[in-house]
Amino acid sequence: MKKKLAVLLAAVMCLSLAACGGSGKAEGNKVYNVGICQLVEHVALDAATKGFEDALKEKLGDNVKFDEQNAQGDSATAATIVNQFVAANTDLILANATAPLQAAAAGTTTIPVLGTSITDYASALDIDNWNGTTGRNISGTSDLAPLKDQAAMLNELFPDSVNVGVLYCSAEANSQYQADVIKAELEALGKTVTFFTFVDTNDVQTVCQNAADNSDVIYVPTDNAVASNTAIIDGVCRPAGVPVIAGEEGICTGCGVATLSISYYDLGYTTGLMAYEVLVNGADVSTMEVKYAPNVTKEYNKEICEALNITVPADYKAIGE
Amino acid sequence: MNVLSLFNAMPGAVAQGLIWGIMAIGVYITYKVLDVADLSVDGTMCTGGAVCIVMLSNGHSMWLSLLVATIAGMIAGLVTGIFHTAMGIPAILSGILTQLGLYSINLKIMGKANIPINNQKYNLMVSLLNVRDVPFYKNTILIVALCMVILIACLYWFFGTELGCSLRATGCNENMSRAQGINTDLNKVLGLMLSNAIVAFSSALLAQYQGFADINMGRGAIVIGLAAVIIGGVVFSKIFHNFALKLLSVGIGAVIYYVVLQIVIWLGFDTDLLKLLSALVVAIFLSLPYLKKRYFTKASNVAAKGGK
Repeated sequence: MKKKLAVLLAAVMCLSLAACGGSGKAEGNKVYNVGICQLVEHVALDAATKGFEDALKEKLGDNVKFDEQNAQGDSATAATIVNQFVAANTDLILANATAPLQAAAAGTTTIPVLGTSITDYASALDIDNWNGTTGRNISGTSDLAPLKDQAAMLNELFPDSVNVGVLYCSAEANSQYQADVIKAELEALGKTVTFFTFVDTNDVQTVCQNAADNSDVIYVPTDNAVASNTAIIDGVCRPAGVPVIAGEEGICTGCGVATLSISYYDLGYTTGLMAYEVLVNGADVSTMEVKYAPNVTKEYNKEICEALNITVPADYKAIGE
Repeated sequence: MNVLSLFNAMPGAVAQGLIWGIMAIGVYITYKVLDVADLSVDGTMCTGGAVCIVMLSNGHSMWLSLLVATIAGMIAGLVTGIFHTAMGIPAILSGILTQLGLYSINLKIMGKANIPINNQKYNLMVSLLNVRDVPFYKNTILIVALCMVILIACLYWFFGTELGCSLRATGCNENMSRAQGINTDLNKVLGLMLSNAIVAFSSALLAQYQGFADINMGRGAIVIGLAAVIIGGVVFSKIFHNFALKLLSVGIGAVIYYVVLQIVIWLGFDTDLLKLLSALVVAIFLSLPYLKKRYFTKASNVAAKGGK
């Protein structure tokens, strides 16, 4: 009985394998196979992937096939996915976020790799003497927020503030870098900057309370842990009367008063256009400069600004209007 | 979807499986030999990689980096051991405490959440790049397999010595061992240190293989380790009786786990469900021996009689 079942199962598996092998042969125009490895499900990362796919679909129509894989936040799975792409000899790999990019860098020196939602390529790929290109089979787009402009914005809205707290999660790959840069920028404007870091979401409330008690204004970078805990930050900072300047729109919607925002969809779209250059026009990926977000918008959160009695200049756009 | 690409992906899956197989041998020592479920490995699985990558990028040699990474794991095991034996905290809680503490320590070791190692700049021992189209002596699979064989040989020798035997006895029957004059506390600490040292060594290899160390890289490691131990046990229990072969079956168990994972990804399975799938695979293999004993032994006898 058990043996029969096992034989039956094995037979079914063989058949399904054979069935899979038969399909997938494309004729006619060259169909480009693009492997997409995204680190985790997340509004910003999803938008970047969507933008990338939309750009390529517009350019190539049906002549592009996406193999979209999600590593579920597990860095070892990113390596498994990249291994699959390399084995299938895909025409291009999109690495969405830092860990997939690093796995792709470890996995291939021949297949072109484009990154997106990566803050700093030099530190992600361990490159000294950064000159805008990686010099190997990797290029892409950076989601680095315009930190200098954000510091200027903070100063414009709150010229009298002295103590600025920077709140972020120290277990996030990109936040440390942004915190260091914004600290230098803010100090150049005469502010005193203090870092308030938490290591996981359970500590957010306590650390945030501490930040609110010791700061005139709080700045939060584009930090995934902050992004998923904006309700807590708003719950602490709004009653304390401390305004929050956010690194991106999503966080600003939840707990910030204002932000200079980049669009992850546009970022992904730009990456898609780069992919088109590589795939169809044979551009050399190793000499392509890493691109930044095409345009930034000054935005404010109407509800929180009203609650804190903050009036913003006329060139700011209310989020969601 | 074509079968050839799955076939091409196998070397990578096998290499990754072998690296986790070394880790699973570490889990085997605590889970099977010592009969303790040690959860600190979730932390150690990052510590080893973190130490190794930090040392390598500071210009230290490969061997020194691997050695220090292994020692770091040993210290983590020592802490768990002290929590458990000297401070009387239940084993499972001791492991959880160490794992939690290691999260902060790992962050401090790396200085940030994620550090890369550039495989073009450093001469790495293993890399995802070196699984196909390279001379065989540079092939990651061969190197990791060699590491595993040496490790198994060392462990086989160790568990044959007086100390190793007393360690095994402690796992088998603690009270009896104590009655024989064995210091069971010391043996437990020793076992935990040995296990975590092996896990940290595997972590150092994994970080090089994937090109970075990340604060989250150990998350769920214990499940993969247990899966390997159990899959290996279920598949090979009938053929492998020798202790060294049992360790080998654990290593092969991890390879099977990663081959299955690779097939799942190749099939285009919804990756949202990966964790659930892992949990189910482990649950099924864990319950298999029990279910077999409980329901199938009698039932199959009856069926056999009825059939004739």
